[in-house]
Amino acid sequence: MTRRRISPTLVQEHGAICCAACGHALGPAGLPWKHKAALSTLPAAQMPGAGSGINADVLLRRFACPACAALLDSEVALPGDPFLDDIVAA
Amino acid sequence: MDPITFSIIRHRLFRVVEEAVITLKHVSGSAITNEGHDLMVSLYRADGALLMGGVGFLHHLTSAAEACKAVIRRFEGQINEGDIFLLNDPYTAALHTSDIYLIAPIHHEGRLVAWSACFVHVFDIGAMNPGGFAPDATDIYSEGFSSPGLKLVDRGQVRQDVWDTLLNMVRGPEMVALDLRSMIACNNVARERMLALIHKYGAPTVDEACQTLIEQSETRLRERLRELPDGQWQSRQYLDVKGEIYRVVLTMTKKDDELVFDFTGSSPQSKYSLNCSKWASLGGLFAPLFPLLCYDITWNEGVIRPIRMIAPEGTIVNATRPAPISVATVGAIQSVNNAACSTIGKMLAASEKYADEATAVWHANHFAIFMFGTNQKGGLSIGILTETFAGAGGARTFGDGVDIGGEIPNPISRMANVETIEATFPIRYLFRRRLRDSGGAGHHRGGAGAEMAIVAHDAPDGGIDYVISGKGSGFPMSDGLGGGDPGGVNDYVWVHAADGEQSPQTRFAASVDALGGEKQPISWGVYPLRGDDALYVRWNGGGGIGDPLSREPARVLQDVVDGVVSPRAAAELYGVVVHEGAIDAAATDARRSGLRGGRLVTEATA
Repeated sequence: MTRRRISPTLVQEHGAICCAACGHALGPAGLPWKHKAALSTLPAAQMPGAGSGINADVLLRRFACPACAALLDSEVALPGDPFLDDIVAA
Repeated sequence: MDPITFSIIRHRLFRVVEEAVITLKHVSGSAITNEGHDLMVSLYRADGALLMGGVGFLHHLTSAAEACKAVIRRFEGQINEGDIFLLNDPYTAALHTSDIYLIAPIHHEGRLVAWSACFVHVFDIGAMNPGGFAPDATDIYSEGFSSPGLKLVDRGQVRQDVWDTLLNMVRGPEMVALDLRSMIACNNVARERMLALIHKYGAPTVDEACQTLIEQSETRLRERLRELPDGQWQSRQYLDVKGEIYRVVLTMTKKDDELVFDFTGSSPQSKYSLNCSKWASLGGLFAPLFPLLCYDITWNEGVIRPIRMIAPEGTIVNATRPAPISVATVGAIQSVNNAACSTIGKMLAASEKYADEATAVWHANHFAIFMFGTNQKGGLSIGILTETFAGAGGARTFGDGVDIGGEIPNPISRMANVETIEATFPIRYLFRRRLRDSGGAGHHRGGAGAEMAIVAHDAPDGGIDYVISGKGSGFPMSDGLGGGDPGGVNDYVWVHAADGEQSPQTRFAASVDALGGEKQPISWGVYPLRGDDALYVRWNGGGGIGDPLSREPARVLQDVVDGVVSPRAAAELYGVVVHEGAIDAAATDARRSGLRGGRLVTEATA
């Protein structure tokens, strides 16, 4: 099998991690990939439904395919906290 | 052993637990037990190994096993037929002092063959704050009585001196007595039904079936793990107490047929009581593991064997005595629940075969609001707002999360109806309903949480007080999956009545915005609910799954019509423009195109 699912939005193909939507390669299989994605951040306090006690610094990070803009992953983080790296063995 | 006999014994064991749970509920008089189902009953082997895990809060299954083992060590040579032991020390095995374990040996013809164990969150434990959650505590010594193991029932006779001593240390001793009696009855029923099973099939046959059941569970879980991809998945949860931020950090590594949960990097233990012990963390990671990976496998020692945990000592996931720990179940333990749910969900989502079993994180932020004071009948009422158990389902890879749909760590959690609470406490509900924009946006939306407001009503003392604790309201905790947004955040607001009283209109306000007066966010401590002041509470929804921009516009519109998603969220998160109750197709296309384009404006990496 040359194409293998590794998340709802990513596949492994020909030794690379690729966007499942368009096939764009984000780096070698078995390694972190988020630094190759397009990152946008949104303060959680600005999201609809934010509560009165929400931390002003907390962010929603969104990682998108730089080729087709498909949303690949998201994570909650404070500025400076490292990316959460999910790695499926090659 | 023939498979039919084995199967019958397996089902009978499960029924033993089921009947014991029913007994527990029939005898107990606490809403937290009967309505919230904050309980657990399970069976254990003679050596304390988990044999048949029951429903209820699943993070107790492994902790009660350790409690059995602690009692076996402490009372070697003194464990007799008809004994029942009590243990509630968190640094020995329990989760926090309020969750008392009563564990009972089961003897057959003079030989110890098994144990039953159960817990309820007792009415009170004698902590400095009523109800057991003690946000004011600075160490475990102020969190109520704490026993590493004592004999409460000796050969079928309650030890009156011990009984009286326990009840002398708590508020509402008559209710605590009922809690203890419910657990004694529960253990008695478990023992009787277990012995009936042994009498029917013979001790050797039942023992062989139990051993086989454990081996079967281990074999089946290892097989399942081998079917899943190798890799590592990470999660991070934030906790907030009075502006101090803590982290639970998890790296879950799966290789071949084993899983390692490594909490290295989690925050040092806190001066606040949200810490948990290593046994609690172990239970915390198993709580989502049992239903997500072992939904068709018996929950027993066999499931535990392929799992290993690394929890550095001195952190909030492995605190050292005498750190305060009473808020653990709604503090660090639930963060462990959430982190494990997230990593397991991501691992399942990486598998073609098991992708449909994946889930975003469910209701991730319990709130412990314990009201206490004189009720409308002149008696003492202490009890939790069971809405914390109502939960919200995380989205699944095939569908939306269930609104107010419970939680992963307790398959039978639920909340009391409004009338039950109003009959128990001198309060009146202004409203309780699904909360708009609380479910995480996604191709599959997270289930909605809810909101409510209460005021004092018919209170002899002019109101009531409450203890509030948890992980704060600063951070989204119900993580999404595959690009889905996290569920919304909790919120707790003390609404001070303007000039000391509300207008007639606001006394029946149907929303927090309609309540007049100053609104003070709170999340930790003891507060009054008096006069015309109100308490507004909202709880988080589940995480979403997948790209919100790929959700069918018609479904987004339906969510708007149903009041679960606001028009603003429809536009900003889903890119769906709703105008006069209908989708504006051209504006929606443009909006979605713009939102997609905005994603490609790359920012600096972390």
